[in-house]
Amino acid sequence: MSKFIIRRALGLIPTMLIIITVCFFLIRVAPGGPFSSEKKIPPQIMKNIEAKYHLDEPLVMQYGRYVVNVIRGDLGPSYKYKDYDVNYYIGEGLPKSLLLGTLSILLALILGMAAGMFSALRQNTWVDYTWMSFAVVGISVPTFVLGPILMFIFSINLKWLPVAGWLDEYGVAALVLPVVTLFYQYFATIARLSRASFLEAIRSDYVRTAKAKGLKTSYIMMKHVLKGASLPVVSYLGPAFSGIITGSIVVEQIFRVPGLGRHFVQSAFNRDYTMIMGTVIVYSLILVIMNFLVDVLYGYLDPRISYS
Amino acid sequence: MSTKVVNELNQEVKGVSLWMDAWRRLRKNKMAMGGLVVMIIYAVISLSAGLLPIYSYKQQVLEHQYLPPSTRPAGELLIEKKVELLSAFAAKEGRELNAVELEEIEELKERIATETKVLLTGEEVKVHERVYYLGTDELGRDLLARIIYGGQVSIMIGLIGALASMIIGVVLGALSGYIGGAFDSLLMRFVDIMYSLPYMLLVIIMMSMFGKNIMNLFFALAIVSWLTVCRVVRGQIISLKNAEFVEAARASGAGTWRIVLRHLIPNTMSVIVVYTTLRVPSFIMLEAFLSFLGLGVQAPYASWGVLIHDGVYAMTTYPWMLWFPAIVMTLFLFSMNFFGDGLRDALDPQSKNKL
Amino acid sequence: MKKLIIAALLVMMIVPAFVFAGGQQEESTAVAAAEPVVFKYHNGAEPESLDPAVIEGVPEHSIYMALFEGLVTYDPESLDAIPGVAESWEVSDDGLTWTFYLRNNAVWSDGSAITAQQFVDSWLRFLAPETAAVYAYLPGMVIKGAAEYNAGEAGPEAVAIRALDDHTFQFDLTGPAPYVLGMLSHYAFAVVPLHTIEEFGDAWTRPGNIVSNGPFNLKSWTPQDKLIVEKSETYWDKDAVKLDEIVFYPIDDTNTATNMYLNGEIDLLTDTPPNQLDKMKLDDGYITNATFITYYYKVNQTKAPFNDARVRKALGMAIDRQELVDKVTRGGQFPAYGITPPLPGLYPAVVAFEEDFDEARALLAEAGYPNGEGFPETTILYNTSEGHKNIAQYVQQKWAEVLNIEVQIENQEWATYLDNMQHQNFDIARSGWQGDYVDPNTFLTDLLHSESGNNDGRYASAEFDALLAKAATMPGGQERLDVLAEAEQLAIGEDMGCIPFYYYNTANWIDLDEWGGWYPTVQDIHPWKAIYKK
Repeated sequence: MSKFIIRRALGLIPTMLIIITVCFFLIRVAPGGPFSSEKKIPPQIMKNIEAKYHLDEPLVMQYGRYVVNVIRGDLGPSYKYKDYDVNYYIGEGLPKSLLLGTLSILLALILGMAAGMFSALRQNTWVDYTWMSFAVVGISVPTFVLGPILMFIFSINLKWLPVAGWLDEYGVAALVLPVVTLFYQYFATIARLSRASFLEAIRSDYVRTAKAKGLKTSYIMMKHVLKGASLPVVSYLGPAFSGIITGSIVVEQIFRVPGLGRHFVQSAFNRDYTMIMGTVIVYSLILVIMNFLVDVLYGYLDPRISYS
Repeated sequence: MSTKVVNELNQEVKGVSLWMDAWRRLRKNKMAMGGLVVMIIYAVISLSAGLLPIYSYKQQVLEHQYLPPSTRPAGELLIEKKVELLSAFAAKEGRELNAVELEEIEELKERIATETKVLLTGEEVKVHERVYYLGTDELGRDLLARIIYGGQVSIMIGLIGALASMIIGVVLGALSGYIGGAFDSLLMRFVDIMYSLPYMLLVIIMMSMFGKNIMNLFFALAIVSWLTVCRVVRGQIISLKNAEFVEAARASGAGTWRIVLRHLIPNTMSVIVVYTTLRVPSFIMLEAFLSFLGLGVQAPYASWGVLIHDGVYAMTTYPWMLWFPAIVMTLFLFSMNFFGDGLRDALDPQSKNKL
Repeated sequence: MKKLIIAALLVMMIVPAFVFAGGQQEESTAVAAAEPVVFKYHNGAEPESLDPAVIEGVPEHSIYMALFEGLVTYDPESLDAIPGVAESWEVSDDGLTWTFYLRNNAVWSDGSAITAQQFVDSWLRFLAPETAAVYAYLPGMVIKGAAEYNAGEAGPEAVAIRALDDHTFQFDLTGPAPYVLGMLSHYAFAVVPLHTIEEFGDAWTRPGNIVSNGPFNLKSWTPQDKLIVEKSETYWDKDAVKLDEIVFYPIDDTNTATNMYLNGEIDLLTDTPPNQLDKMKLDDGYITNATFITYYYKVNQTKAPFNDARVRKALGMAIDRQELVDKVTRGGQFPAYGITPPLPGLYPAVVAFEEDFDEARALLAEAGYPNGEGFPETTILYNTSEGHKNIAQYVQQKWAEVLNIEVQIENQEWATYLDNMQHQNFDIARSGWQGDYVDPNTFLTDLLHSESGNNDGRYASAEFDALLAKAATMPGGQERLDVLAEAEQLAIGEDMGCIPFYYYNTANWIDLDEWGGWYPTVQDIHPWKAIYKK
């Protein structure tokens, strides 16, 4: 097992290198550049700008310079937001996105697994239908609809919560609507997935054996079913957790959360090359690490899995 | 079909009866059958949209903009609106409607009774006799027609996207999980890389290279959609591949493909079916995002996703522009999910005795 | 099982607890905020920078007005130049040499004095090629030697600006340009704290480092969240400054901004979604006025059939602009039959053509497409936005109704759209243009001169270019404007070099019963210094 972990961990380095390389060249192919604007910049001034950001050098040289800087931990200056560098924006935004996302996912995980379990135990009863309808609404209503609806109800009409803002202005109240909006999507998916795998696990041989032995349902659920049934949810969590950065784009925009998510979309629209690269690196780093952890977790959750 | 049964081995005969069984069980599941019926109705309506007695989805009648849903002709609503406006104005000044205003109303009534307009189709109609059951949008277009036509593309995109991602994801995920080793490592690292590429720029580049067309749209949908399915299925397969029935199949000399297709995938079917039905709404919404980038359907045609997207900010002012497309889409997704669940239950061999 | 239920119950209890705690929090901050006068502003996008040499957009400009002050500044109502760091000035008889006398009590926020030499050094820094300032062409247009230095063709000594003593600053112009005084309020002519820039380098604009000379100082700046400025105690005219703090919120989502305004979380709203416009127009705070922006369609004249003026005219005439602004845009815009918006007291809008559907059909037939038959496949390109989409759909139906031609419409995201326009990779494309200065020249020359970089439709008329050249040699006055009007009549009325739709107007929502000193202005600029709470 430890051999597997080491081998798997070492594999992360070439993966990251490939991602950086492919992205670096890919984004340059996109039409337009970081300094294109509706009012044409006079050619002489454009030349000054390109020289300032080394954009006039051959691409390979720019790539070399970039990789060396990244290895040193410097993601470079943003071409759009010129007073700070990419490191600063990531340092500022990432913790906020992580807070938002982690809270949402944790809530979704607890409630979603619970909903999935109850539904599976009471399959095709009103309990099942209620939970699953609730979940289907969750996946059917996109965040860009749910956010404004919640905002309208709780902020404009009831005036319980602020329209938009962050902890420093409104305290925990600022978190409620963004977390709930983000949570619903994850909850819906986790509830549906876990219901399916609970159903499967309940009917498996080892549960039947346990039942035959006269063990209590709750004991069986906690001891046997939960572990086996959480496998698909765990697989889903790898991408989902890294997706909390990209997935929170809409929520961050609607509720004005100063997180990293919106840089994902905005930097691509701006063709802000360094910012795009920075966000991609952060995202992929979280992703490969999460997928790595998931692979390790498989072995723990299901003793039948071996990586020999 | 029955000849096939004879030709195949013992297992296959059982397989067919499983499908028959499944259908029998599915028919007993009211929710699932309800879902199936609704889905069929949706399919029939959107496929026959051109034959239905509805207005054109793109015909604008600017005077009819933002009319609420009603079974009465637009002209009546316009007169009502005018009277309301003038009365409110008069009430503000604390008086009854004066002669000029009454005259104005009479003029409007007469114009509405007689005015005609040549539509894009070339026919000349008494335009104010049009009835908008679901209201109109910002350019005075019939929302009912826009939702029905929008269904065509959204249902297609939702289903094709989900199926394509399922097929790619399931096959690759199952192979990766079953074969393991270097193949698994490489494929999973490839999945990681695909996850990491900036999707939006990928789409923009694809469009600038290959232009915008429907194939490009499907490609854009398929390119990343299979990744999570692949990882979920792989996880399931890894846990199953050392199970007794797989060992038994292997011992009896079955090949990789056979084990994967006949033994492993059917046993992860419930998770696959559920996850696939889960993905449909995200494809419908992804199409709206791609429309934002210029790929996807082009105005004046609008998919459900685009209608909902454009309707969101009308929520407080012209709520029908959000609620009708949203309800129509949610109802479809509901039926699909209940049908999917029913299908899952029906296919589950162990629930055979239950029903 | 039990454990799970308990966990689930706990979570369900925590959520309302959040709500409760939040409600209390909000109340307490509301009470605390009641004392200092804080103005909360919807500032559109996140500022790209605070350095006057780097910025180029509207959000940056409104922050600049709070933090910095040049030789002159804006009158809050007329936007005319009023004394800033300079308390008076004079111009030589030939109109070429301007001398400014700086006030003694103008200091930086760290207490150090502002000298004429600092103006010289700041302007040279702005023009230096390595600074790569986008707006360097503005001083380049008027200050002698500035363009040459910026292009690297001459050294800094070539720029005709000088400090006669600590408080006297002088520059020479390339030619008589009476409008130069108005330009000097622009950040291209700012004074910057060179001693701070030297100390902190690129990080000089961050909170804690930055030193400024305007009515406000930077208090804090959380990117993507908010930027707060507080009243400066060192500003020479600090008694005139009535606001204690201004909070600049970058808000991308106009629906959120509208909700924040309705909820009292911001005091000034500058945009709202199209579908809420009718409701928001009834809001008491709604203020609108004409501004110097034209909405128009570019027509690609490098390809057939758009190289035929008759086709362009037919397209331009087959639109009901009054209906467009009344029913589609609905913001009180003005139909445009020329490209230059009316410049009050200077240049009335030219009505270069009339909408005439019969003539439009006749012109199209003359060009070889009777009743629209055989008209090639045509696409209207626009950058993704609900407003542009509605206009394009309106035009599409109108052209189908009037001319019987079927055009497609297509949207692209901003950078792709710009790229395609620059490479003439379009048929017809929507566009908008805001004048850089108050003169028809900024519309006519910039948009339609055959050699202008912004003439993406590639309209080319020797006659039109000649008229512009003629006007350029004439002194200011009615005669020159007549020549420009003649040129506009030719380019739009005869040739339809582009298809104008309407002149924009501004939209602001502010409660003027609560706030004073805020005026609707033609360039939509509202100096902070004047604003006060009633």
